[in-house]
Amino acid sequence: MKKWVYIAFSLLCTLARANDNVVNVYAWSQEVSPKVVRQFQKDTGIRVNFSTFDSNEVLYAKMKASRQTQYDVVEPSSYYIMRMARENMIEKLDLGKLSNYKNLNPAFTHPDYDPTGEYSIPWVLGLAGIVVNRKYYPNDNLEKWTDLWSPKYRNSLLLLDDPREVFNVGLLTLGYSPNDNNVQHLKKAYENLVALLPNVRLYNSSSVPSLLIDEDVTIGMGWNADAYKAHLQNPNIEFIYPKDKFVIWVDCFVVPKNAPHRENAYKFLNYVLQAKIAALQVKETFYPTANLAAIDYLPPEIANSKIIFPSVEQLKQGYFQTDLNDDALESISRYWQLLKLQ
Amino acid sequence: MKHKFQYFSVGLITAWLCLFGLLSFLVMLTISFLQHDLDRIAVWHFTLQNYIDLFDPIFFKIFLKSFYIAFLVTAGCLLLGYPFAYIVSRLPEKVQNLALLLLLLPFWTSSVVRTYAMMSLLKTKGLLNAALLSMGLIHEPLQILFTNTAVSIGLIYNLLPFMILPIYVNLERFDVSLIEAAKDLGAKYTTIFRKVIIPLSMPGILGGCTLVFLPAMTLFFISDLLGGAKALLLGNLIEDQFLMANNWPRGAATSVLLTVLMAIGLLLYWSKTNKRVDYEAVT
Repeated sequence: MKKWVYIAFSLLCTLARANDNVVNVYAWSQEVSPKVVRQFQKDTGIRVNFSTFDSNEVLYAKMKASRQTQYDVVEPSSYYIMRMARENMIEKLDLGKLSNYKNLNPAFTHPDYDPTGEYSIPWVLGLAGIVVNRKYYPNDNLEKWTDLWSPKYRNSLLLLDDPREVFNVGLLTLGYSPNDNNVQHLKKAYENLVALLPNVRLYNSSSVPSLLIDEDVTIGMGWNADAYKAHLQNPNIEFIYPKDKFVIWVDCFVVPKNAPHRENAYKFLNYVLQAKIAALQVKETFYPTANLAAIDYLPPEIANSKIIFPSVEQLKQGYFQTDLNDDALESISRYWQLLKLQ
Repeated sequence: MKHKFQYFSVGLITAWLCLFGLLSFLVMLTISFLQHDLDRIAVWHFTLQNYIDLFDPIFFKIFLKSFYIAFLVTAGCLLLGYPFAYIVSRLPEKVQNLALLLLLLPFWTSSVVRTYAMMSLLKTKGLLNAALLSMGLIHEPLQILFTNTAVSIGLIYNLLPFMILPIYVNLERFDVSLIEAAKDLGAKYTTIFRKVIIPLSMPGILGGCTLVFLPAMTLFFISDLLGGAKALLLGNLIEDQFLMANNWPRGAATSVLLTVLMAIGLLLYWSKTNKRVDYEAVT
């Protein structure tokens, strides 16, 4: 009997030891291609425990809920990185350890949400612009967000089902910064959006490509990766970078404080910073990348796509999304409920 | 032996309900009286603020709109479900079982999946439009998806069995000789229906209405998918407060309020059914 207990115990120990060489990654759903994970496991022998979330709020709540984090790498959006750094939830990275860091586009290494660039490794990014199906609106002059207010688009617009994205449009068209904490400005943005409501047909952010491809909606706002996916199947779909500016979100890898497998976390970060791996990710999901060196590894139709990669001048029109204070968030949430009620 | 098994099964169900029904409700009830805190779920500080917040005109409007949609859906389910239940209850027993099986068959698939299927029926290039266009009944595709009509259709489709089953159970036990008696006394069909069948099946109707009305206000994924996330139902409001606003105390207060409303509905139902029994005892 004793012998069996001993054997079972030592077996358990070896299992536990085998489990030691892991990295626990928690990322946005559909933002890390399974191919990338598989290749990492093959090349490094480190097992990836991979799980996904659907909103920053869920990630934030999970990290807050337990004192000792079980995650080694998490992937919040830009504005949540600010909050997590402020609340001392994530670690300052030793960038010297990441030999592939040089692959990144310098435009993304000192963003507003992480001015020193020491907390976050940009992974995928995107921006909301105007999407239109030219079969239905062949000659419409669509250059700016304000063009969407035209009465001829009555009951036809798609808006993203995302309070911050919609308020970005409300603020930008009034000339305010999308990162404005001023509650008075938010109120004006709300009134501005109320004027847009007669044109709104639906809110959606999870199945935009299929809505566009099947022409259930023919004009509105959408993320550029979604517009590209739709454009592949329905060439009438066009994506427009609004001249009255737009907001860029960047989802980045960060390492939580007291991550249990910090060494492996660094190995993972350095691995995904490789140009080839970043290129593989773009080919799988069509999200733009901040990895400049990756462009060389992309097929020309993706590398030259105006939808996925904005030009340098266009990029200058973009704002990085940063965190808002609690008053501003509370009033956005209230106004959002009001908008949906009208 | 039989007693033991009875105690076991009743005990098991009681424990289950206490653990997952009562206990989680008590947790919600407690949280609803605590103060909201951004860093933690709530702080130990008694407050009525979460309930006072619910008197905000916005929440009041959401309540009203949910009531309105739930009312339409209940009426729709009743109009469709009552004749169905009546017809089924008059069929031979074997056919009855088959009809009920067919009614419940779609429930083997998740209702989210069925709602997606509903989307592909109603969409611009969907089956309904394709059929109507090919028959020449319409020349432009109908824009049904992402309207309140689509939400109502989806809710009625999902909730219809909850209306049919209680009415069916009630009508199945219905004593047919009462109709014959009424006929013998010279009552017309409409009179029989109004004065005999409807009053006697009232408990079933009320039961069905309670089972439809409350879910109609809370099935948030239907209004998200079919209504283009425009119509905010009470369910959306609760979901929003828990997940997006991260305000558990207020979300808890909203769901407690909903539970109280349901309790009132059930009390009404009980008082009605009890009255019915008294009435029969008198006559």
